[in-house]
Amino acid sequence: MTENNACPIDAFQQRLAQLDETALDQARATLVSKWSYAAEVYARACVHCGLCSDSCHYFLIDPSKESVPAYRLKLVTDVFACHQSKSRKISGARELDRNTVDEWIDCLFGRCTLCNRCGLNCSVGINIAQMIRIGRSVLAASRLVPPELQSTVDAAVNTGNNMAISREEWFETIDWLNGELQQEVGDPQACLPLDRAGATILYAVNPREVKFFPLSLLAAAKIFHTAGENWTFSKEYYDVTNYALFSGDDTIGGMLSSRLIETARKLGVRTLVLGECGHGFKATRWDAPEWLGQTPDIEIKSVLEVVEDYIRQGRIRLDPRLNSKRVTLHDPCNLVRNGGIVEQSRAILKAGVSDFVEMIPNRLQNYCCGGGGGQLSMTRYAKRRLAAGKVKADQIAATGAKIVVAPCHNCIDQLSELNRDYKLGVEVKTVCEMVADAIVGTPAS
Amino acid sequence: MDLPRLLVVLSAAFALLVLTIHYFRARRWGVKPVYAKIQGTPRQALIYTFTAGMMPWSKESASKHLPTFIVGIIFHLAVVAAVVTLLAAIFVWTLPSLLKSVLLATLFAGLACGLGLFVKRMVVGYLRAISVPDDFVANLLVNLFMINAAVNLIAGVSTVFFVTAIVLFAYIPFGKIRHCWFFFCSRLLFAEFYGYRGALPPAQQVHHD
Repeated sequence: MTENNACPIDAFQQRLAQLDETALDQARATLVSKWSYAAEVYARACVHCGLCSDSCHYFLIDPSKESVPAYRLKLVTDVFACHQSKSRKISGARELDRNTVDEWIDCLFGRCTLCNRCGLNCSVGINIAQMIRIGRSVLAASRLVPPELQSTVDAAVNTGNNMAISREEWFETIDWLNGELQQEVGDPQACLPLDRAGATILYAVNPREVKFFPLSLLAAAKIFHTAGENWTFSKEYYDVTNYALFSGDDTIGGMLSSRLIETARKLGVRTLVLGECGHGFKATRWDAPEWLGQTPDIEIKSVLEVVEDYIRQGRIRLDPRLNSKRVTLHDPCNLVRNGGIVEQSRAILKAGVSDFVEMIPNRLQNYCCGGGGGQLSMTRYAKRRLAAGKVKADQIAATGAKIVVAPCHNCIDQLSELNRDYKLGVEVKTVCEMVADAIVGTPAS
Repeated sequence: MDLPRLLVVLSAAFALLVLTIHYFRARRWGVKPVYAKIQGTPRQALIYTFTAGMMPWSKESASKHLPTFIVGIIFHLAVVAAVVTLLAAIFVWTLPSLLKSVLLATLFAGLACGLGLFVKRMVVGYLRAISVPDDFVANLLVNLFMINAAVNLIAGVSTVFFVTAIVLFAYIPFGKIRHCWFFFCSRLLFAEFYGYRGALPPAQQVHHD
C-alpha cells in the first residue's frame, strides 16, 4: 500500500526497476557491515509481543501490521537471518529481493520517524529506531533513499547548508537582523557577529530560520546580547541540521557534523552551541562522535542548556507576565527522548511564561509530532505524515493552550501544518522566541 | 543419578553452553565504543532499568496493556515454578505441602495465561502478522512443560516430565526462548543508551495518558 505521488519519470523508480542480483548482493554486504553486537542482541531478544504497537503514532492512526514497530524491526532482522543461514524458516528468515526492498522503503522510510518511542516502551528494551536506521543505511548505500530526502542531504554537502542558501543571502539576512537587533535592544553597537575569532560560543542554526524564520535568529541574538555573551556565527558553516541521520549515511553524517566542529576549532571557540533543532542536536552531540570515531575536543551543547544557565546565573531576567497566554511544550524526540535535554525547556518556560501546561503524556513519553525521520522532506508520504500527526494534534487540543512551544524547527514545520489541517488555532513558537519576549532589564555587564 | 535425570541435566548444560556461544558470537560483531562525552548517571540508569523502569507506571507498553502485562508476569512465574518442580524431581527433594500447593496454583494460572497468549497471538490480526512458527512452538513447549510439572506434582510421574524438559532445553538456544539470556543484554544496552544521555532515570515522573 505504498503512497507514491512520484512522477513516472522518476530516477528513483528507474533505479528500483534496474535492481539486479549484483545490487542486492551489495545491499546484503552493507547490512552485514552495519551489523554489531547491539544489532545481534536486539535480533535475538525480540519476542514479537507486539506491545510496542501503540507507542507508535502511525499505528494509532492505521493499526496495520506495517505500522507495528516490531514488524519493521523484523523486516531488517529477517533479512539478516536469511543471509546468515538459509535454514532459519522457523524464525521467519526472509530473502532480500525486489519485493522486500519495496517494503523496506515503504516501511523504514515511509512509516517511521526514528523517534524511538517504541524503543523506550519495548518490553525488552530494544532500540528499534537504531535497527530501522541500519535498514536505511543499507538503502542509502544502494542509492535507494527517497530522492526528496537525498536532495536535502546533497544540498547540505554541496552548498554548506540544506537549503542551498547563498553566502550573499546569509550576509544580507545578518545585515538586516543587525539593524533589527539594535532597534530591539536600543544599542547601536549590538550585532550578530560573523567569524569572531576567540568567541566563547559558536552558534549553529537551522537554515530554515535564515530563509523563513529570521525572527527566531533575532530572538537568540537578543538573548546572547542581553546575557553579555561573547558569541559568533560562522560565515560558512552555520547549519545545525544533518539529514544524513535520516538517510542513514554515516559517512556524510560525520562529514556534516565535523564541519561545525572544525569551524569551532578554527575560530578558537570552546563551545559549539546547537540551535533549536532536535535531530541536529542528536546527530552532532551523540552520533557524530561515533561516526567519526573520536571524541570532540570541544564542548557541544544545546542552546536550551545555555539559556537555562543564563536564567539560573541571573545573566538574563524574565518577566513571565509578558507571556500571559497559555503555553504548552512539545518535546522533540531527538532532543528529549534520544538526546537527554528533558527538563531545560520546562525550567526556561516556567521562568518566562505565566500559564504553562504540560501535554499528556510528556517528556520522554511525549508523542512524536510526525515531522522527524526526514518525513517533512519526503513529500511522497505527506498524506500519511499528516494523518499520523492527529495524535499530536489531539494532545495539543487537550491542553487548551494558545501557544505551542517546540525547540525544533522540523517539529515547528509539522506543528504548523497540523495547526492548519486540524484547525487548532494556536501559535507555534521556539523557546528562544518566548524567552526574548519575556526579557526585562539591560544587558549583563 | 539415573539416565533420564542425567539427560535433563545434560540438556540444561547444553542450552547454557549454546547460549554462551551465541553470546560470544554476538560480541564478535563488534561492541561499538562510545566516543560521545557522557552526561547523566549511567549507574543509576542501570539500576532504574532493572527496577522501576520495568514497572507499568514507567512503561506504556505495560500500563496500556495491563492485563497482558499481568498475564506475562504470571506466565513467567509459572516457568520458574516448573523449573523448581523439575529441580525437585531431579534431586528427589520432598517438597512441603504448602509449597506444592503454591507451585500447583502458579502452574495452573501460568498455563491458563500461556494458552491465553497463544490464542491472543492467533486472533489479534497485527499480532498474528508479526508472529512466526517459533512463537507458537515456543509457547506450546513451555505450556507442555508446565502441564507435566503439574502432573509430576500431583501424580509423581517423572519420565514424561523429563522428556519434555529435555526437548525444551534443547530448543531454547535456537528459538525465541533464548530471550531468557538476551533480554538482559538488551536491557543493559537500553540502560547505556538512555543513561549516557542523562535521559534516565527520569528527573520527574512522566505523566501518562
